[in-house]
Amino acid sequence: MQKLLFTLIALLLCTGIKAQIWVSKNVTSSFFSSTPVEDIDALSKTGASALNVKTNDIIFKINNTSFQFKKKLMQEHFNENYIESDKYPTSDFKGKIIEQIDFSKPGTYPITIKGNLQIHGVTKEYQVKGSLVITADEVKATSAFNVKLADHAIKIPTIVFKQIAETIQVKMTATYQPKK
Amino acid sequence: MKYHLKSLLYLFALCLPIVASAQDSLENALQMPVEKKNVKATFKATKLINIQTNETIYKNEMDFRVDHRFGDIAGSGGGIKNFFGLDQSTDIRIGFEYGISDKLSVGLARAKGAGIVTQLYEGNLKYRLLEQTDDEKVPVAVTLFGSTTIAAVKASTDPTAVNAYSKFQDRLTYVVQAVIARKFNSNFSMLVMPSYIHRNFTVFGDQNDMLALSVGGRIKITKRMAFVADYTIPFRDKDKKAYLENTLGTQYYKTLGAGLEFETGGHIFHLNFTNATAIQESQFITDTNTSWLKGQYRWGFSIARRFSFDKKKAK
Repeated sequence: MQKLLFTLIALLLCTGIKAQIWVSKNVTSSFFSSTPVEDIDALSKTGASALNVKTNDIIFKINNTSFQFKKKLMQEHFNENYIESDKYPTSDFKGKIIEQIDFSKPGTYPITIKGNLQIHGVTKEYQVKGSLVITADEVKATSAFNVKLADHAIKIPTIVFKQIAETIQVKMTATYQPKK
Repeated sequence: MKYHLKSLLYLFALCLPIVASAQDSLENALQMPVEKKNVKATFKATKLINIQTNETIYKNEMDFRVDHRFGDIAGSGGGIKNFFGLDQSTDIRIGFEYGISDKLSVGLARAKGAGIVTQLYEGNLKYRLLEQTDDEKVPVAVTLFGSTTIAAVKASTDPTAVNAYSKFQDRLTYVVQAVIARKFNSNFSMLVMPSYIHRNFTVFGDQNDMLALSVGGRIKITKRMAFVADYTIPFRDKDKKAYLENTLGTQYYKTLGAGLEFETGGHIFHLNFTNATAIQESQFITDTNTSWLKGQYRWGFSIARRFSFDKKKAK
């Protein structure tokens, strides 16, 4: 009897450790560039993210070719000329949620995420605001922030300078479930 | 005591694989989607210099393209007296293409036409049969091109002339091509293209059907500038060629074009040199009578602008 109890406790303990990593495999990220001449927006729905609910570590990774544009030629230019998907296939973020969050308590929490964002092979430190919505079986994280193209060595030639904004607005949403 | 030790070991063994997985870096927990992708942008434009590429435009896009060929730079017809060819234009072509789907486009064009056969109206279809894939399961892209050209030039009364048309059908020329292309890396692409040309009417003694083989390539110099070149070999019957060269006093040559391609996002410019006087497939493959070695090469340029009519939201 004592042995059985021991095993049960051990099992519970282990499952507890296991569920400290939560994952999301349908991270939605969109970016928006607005100038008086042209608005450009693109959407990716297949990004991946993982969140360690014990250490607050959080990472994101997105295939650059997964961004869909309404104008296909723009998508081709994005991959060929700007983000250079051949050389830099992914964009990623590695960081931490600064606030102490009790992931077992459902509710909405404003958060600050600090970490390194890699786009176009250039890494820069960011501190962005966001929010967490915790429910019984999932965690939803959202954030919106601005990226300056010059910070990531993405050059806009003079001839299309009026079509592409210097600062791009980025929005991200991820829904996490415990890793099975 | 012995019992406790055993239990502890048991506990340890039970947790070991799970603890190990928890210690795995977050990165290993990421579940990246596996995407099967087609190779994009093997070439930047629908044409190299003289020949087609495997590229078509996207659905609901329109490509407006102007091609121009000047006169001979050097040789007996060139030099300072015609300002190195700039005083003349051997051919001018204005064309529109429209994307029915991402794979199929239709085109209409009007070209001046080089030589005697002028006032050309062309209708064409271009279809992407096969696309090269990132995983190398399909190593090449194949695109089919077909065109019909009508020559509206006044019919000649000389029955041996190239334009001695007696009925409307005589004015038609058909071209069928298969572009086999491969993007070797982001800076280098090549293509091989067999062509079949059928002319309903030819100059006396020439053949109606002709096969040709082209090779072409593109090497990126900078992100927005590339070197492009193409070479086309027409296969004309030896006896017919000898007869024609004898009676017409001209020679038939293979065509070679080389130039620079500039891409500005929406516009593509070509600045090139070629010995072909004509622009359309219906003419330059079968009837190039000008040679690089005789100084009979010329400036050429093309401007292509793509318009998008697709206003729907990105999915």
